[in-house]
Amino acid sequence: MSAIVCSHVDKAYGATSVIRDLNLSIEEHEFVVFLGPSGCGKSTLLRMLAGLEDISGGEVSIGGKVVNDLDPGDRGIAMVFQNYALYPHMTIFENIAFGLKRQKVPAAEIRKRVEAVSRTLGLDPYLGRKPTELSGGQQQRVAIARAMIKTPKVFLFDEPLSNLDAKLRNHMRVEIARLHQALKTTTVYVTHDQLEAMTLADRIVLLKDGVIEQIGSPAEIYRRPGNLFVAGFIGTPNMNFIEATVSRAENGWTLNGARTVISIEGRGFDLQHGERAVLGIRPPDLKTASGDAGGNLLLGTADLIEFHGNDALVTFGSGGKEISALVPARECPELRAPVRYAFDEESIHLFDVSTGMSLRKRAN
Amino acid sequence: MKPYRMRPGRLIAKAILALAGFLAVFPLVWTALNALKNNVDIITRVPRLVFSPTLANISYILGRDSVLTGLCNSVVACGSAVLIGVALGLPAAYAVARYPNRFAGDIQFFVLSLRFLPPVAVAIPLMVIWLQVGLYDTLPALIVTYSLLTISVIMWLAIPAFQGVPKEIEEAAFVDGYGAYSVFWRIALPVAARSLIGAIAFSFVLVWNEFLIALMLSSSNAKTLPIVASELSQQGMNVPWGILNASVVLLSLPPLLFLGVLSGFLNSVFRQKKS
Repeated sequence: MSAIVCSHVDKAYGATSVIRDLNLSIEEHEFVVFLGPSGCGKSTLLRMLAGLEDISGGEVSIGGKVVNDLDPGDRGIAMVFQNYALYPHMTIFENIAFGLKRQKVPAAEIRKRVEAVSRTLGLDPYLGRKPTELSGGQQQRVAIARAMIKTPKVFLFDEPLSNLDAKLRNHMRVEIARLHQALKTTTVYVTHDQLEAMTLADRIVLLKDGVIEQIGSPAEIYRRPGNLFVAGFIGTPNMNFIEATVSRAENGWTLNGARTVISIEGRGFDLQHGERAVLGIRPPDLKTASGDAGGNLLLGTADLIEFHGNDALVTFGSGGKEISALVPARECPELRAPVRYAFDEESIHLFDVSTGMSLRKRAN
Repeated sequence: MKPYRMRPGRLIAKAILALAGFLAVFPLVWTALNALKNNVDIITRVPRLVFSPTLANISYILGRDSVLTGLCNSVVACGSAVLIGVALGLPAAYAVARYPNRFAGDIQFFVLSLRFLPPVAVAIPLMVIWLQVGLYDTLPALIVTYSLLTISVIMWLAIPAFQGVPKEIEEAAFVDGYGAYSVFWRIALPVAARSLIGAIAFSFVLVWNEFLIALMLSSSNAKTLPIVASELSQQGMNVPWGILNASVVLLSLPPLLFLGVLSGFLNSVFRQKKS
């Protein structure tokens, strides 16, 4: 049974439509991440699951029960907010226990459960303190404890790490991943950080302007982006895009653009002679080519080199286009030296210029 | 170098501050001192800091029935008006702040506009109304009238206080299973308490010091302390300065007491019980 099902869900504020005809089903124990640029409707969708926003149209069910008209407290969910949203006038103990008190759980059991949860999250020394006396990371842990203690059917996280500094964010990300491994509670997690999405998610739901662009495992979304937006949004550094004209050749196809001609067999793609396409190559898929190497090559002059440690990002002009290649630091060329990069056909992506959709053949 | 150059500026600033502080405090101190002086010591040409104190003024004030009645009236009228203002104004302010509808802006403006009007413009119609109703010169009339003031002032100050409560905190309580009323009592009120105390205290001081409306709505029975105190200066050519000063001191004490008691009380109410 699916833990959460959204069917034909709409959300509009007056005349402005924020989410349009959204269909999604989330399996039990699954960790699903809503990812997208700001304003794409991911937080709104989460808040609709939580019951903090009205559902303008369609149906949302949690655990097989339609929850459209249920109050947040009756939906079997727990939520962690971006700014923690701890009750400032209560101690940490009272913060964690507040939800249980409402459920009329006996005081002795409340104490037992709060102690158990706070031990898991390393909060026992702080139970008597007020939220303002805790650091950001500790406050976030309290917020997670407050969600955990209710043993909900679904955890909802609304950008829980974006108020933390980079180091703490990595640490908390690992903690959340461990927690999910241990508890197996169905989780919906909203973020705009693709690293969080890639590392945490069983499945990513990529949203843009209130519409789902693609749903898939992190690997699927990275390796087989369904359209130009997904290809451009996922992956750091960003994918290179080169517009090209497709023409039929003897043993396959040629792509003619940015003053280079690329020959491919094109078996994996649905191509048509004369159509315009966008060729996408991820910077790590470009390999330094030796002087006499044949095959498909991108040539240019290195005009910017960013040192990343292990790797270096080489940006070069090729046929009026800026192309980036992520190469091992020891292969890094001199600035303004000529560069040659080769790539395999397996690593390229092709998209229709007008629709932006991937030209890859659908797997049967 | 910099602190050295700053010095004259800082000195001047401190001097100005000290002067301003002196200007604010000295009249109060002088009034308090005068309340303890004989008339001879007050009307002397050279002001006297050293004098033989007397409690005659204060005992005269406390011994007069009109003063005690005025004090009683003031306490009842202002106390009830503030209670009504709290009971109606706080929930109204919360509703406007958290559940704004298309009238929210109008409500806020209307509430504020009650304070724009010159008090006379409000007082005269009110006087006519209470005369017609037959409640002129009674405490209920004064309480209802003052409630209009306290409700509007409390709403006016409490709306931003409630808006200042982070929305996520209330949402977290909703997710924890609490309804709108519980969220108001258990979250919004305690979190905004600090600002709300200020609003309540301000509304009390406002009606306590109120003069014009009280003057127009009372002739003998419902006189409040400011009216009674002002009458003390109208007893012929010989102004009883000592008595006047003593009545001013009496007038100033309740708001100070009220502020102290109120802040302590609210603090203890909203401090969570240790379980």
